[in-house]
Amino acid sequence: MSEKKTFVITRFDPDKDQAPRQQTYEVPVQPDWKVLDALNYIKDEIDPTLSHRWSCRMAVCGSCGMMVDGKPSLTCKDALSDYGDKVEVAPLANFPIVRDLVVELEGFLEKLSSVKPYILRAKERALEEGTHRQSPAQLEEFKQFSYCINCMLCYSACPVVANEPEFLGPAAIALGHRYNMDSRDEGQHERNEVFRGEGTVFSCSYANECSEVCPKHVDPAAAINQAKFNAVIDWLTGFVTSPRGGK
Amino acid sequence: MKHLLLKLEPLIWLLFGQGILIGTMLLTGWILVVGLLAPLGIVPPDALTFARAHDLGSSLLGRLFLLALLVLPLWKGAHHVRSLSIDYGGVNRDAAVATLMYGVAAVGSLLAIVAVIRL
Amino acid sequence: MARPVNPHAMTPSRPGRTRTAPPQAPSGWYTQPRMLRYLLFDATGIVYLLVGFVALRVVWALGSGDAAWAELQRQLQNPLYIAFHALALVSVVFVAVRFFRLFPKSQPAHIGPAKPPPQPLILAGLYAAWIGVTLVVTAVLAGWVL
Repeated sequence: MSEKKTFVITRFDPDKDQAPRQQTYEVPVQPDWKVLDALNYIKDEIDPTLSHRWSCRMAVCGSCGMMVDGKPSLTCKDALSDYGDKVEVAPLANFPIVRDLVVELEGFLEKLSSVKPYILRAKERALEEGTHRQSPAQLEEFKQFSYCINCMLCYSACPVVANEPEFLGPAAIALGHRYNMDSRDEGQHERNEVFRGEGTVFSCSYANECSEVCPKHVDPAAAINQAKFNAVIDWLTGFVTSPRGGK
Repeated sequence: MKHLLLKLEPLIWLLFGQGILIGTMLLTGWILVVGLLAPLGIVPPDALTFARAHDLGSSLLGRLFLLALLVLPLWKGAHHVRSLSIDYGGVNRDAAVATLMYGVAAVGSLLAIVAVIRL
Repeated sequence: MARPVNPHAMTPSRPGRTRTAPPQAPSGWYTQPRMLRYLLFDATGIVYLLVGFVALRVVWALGSGDAAWAELQRQLQNPLYIAFHALALVSVVFVAVRFFRLFPKSQPAHIGPAKPPPQPLILAGLYAAWIGVTLVVTAVLAGWVL
């Protein structure tokens, strides 16, 4: 005899609804279920019109981020037993809602591509020179920040993202910083200019909420505040290398 | 104005950071004695007589201490009030709020320099 | 239950193919304890500004002569000033504790050839410096030394 939980889920059909509404479902749950299992049960057995993103079921793809009882969470990771008899599921906060629990990701992808999240070299390394060499110590300097799975829970937790649309946001800055700290990269100056531009890293007010919700322990708050330091150094050295003023 | 603010942001952040770090460290003892222990009489009145206070304040170290104490917390305060405005949905008024707050901090800093020099 | 945030939050530069609902946040977001502590941290900015201007008054009085200094000392005994400075002391301690917790991880892995000390050492150093500086400032101002 399985336990029953009540799920209050945000629904929104852009063709039919003026605004998002809530719909309630009674779900018989198993003791070892995650929140995602309940959502899939609803879609499979109760209401096939429910739309939600999910993929790997093991907290590596970053698809299934949603607000569960008001907190950003990876629904494939969070055990249902951690929640009470009534569970509220809503789409990720601070993102435009496409449909039901699915949010618009294009805004994030634009911010991410603006920080150039790839190795930039002044001149491409010739094939004959072989591979880049990187010591374990050099790897340690950015390894943590490379664990980001782009789940965007950090954007949902960040008060600056909610209030300042231009802000680059935690994951984009953390990933830009990951490349700035990569010993193979030579694009720090370019990225630091983006960091001091419209999306400015200095908008971060160190709420630290992003790091509190990150499921992969990336610690984006650490990355952002390290990035502020680096951006300042880059700004100061800009006055030395180009005396008519850094940008 | 928004463009100017962006250009100055690294400098403002440096002042703000020192405002928290150095400002907080200097302020604790100051508030304790000048704000609480002395007015409450817990510290004897001969500690902050005009003669002694003026001697301390007008020494080189004293002037540097007072300059840091007066200037740095203003920039921490200004930046955080601006942050608070954004936290409560104020992004459209941000250029105005930032100009006002940093303007206040700048004026306060100038007055602080004058106050320390005229000791 | 949800409440609106900035209507352009995380909105792409070009609209998508379907109509979207504006971004929202949980209604209890700003009243959660950790969030309240963050907002309080920002709010201490008001206290710091006021403390800075009161300190300015003090130094200005010091530079204006005996009478002005005595008058200011008298004013500082007003219960409102005492209450303000008590609040200021609590604010400063609150800021220090939060900031010291967050500071060590904000140091980049290297700046040029320089590397920061290990994080626990930075934290200990911050507290040691705070206590040390406070003791020195208190001792000097209270007349225990010099």
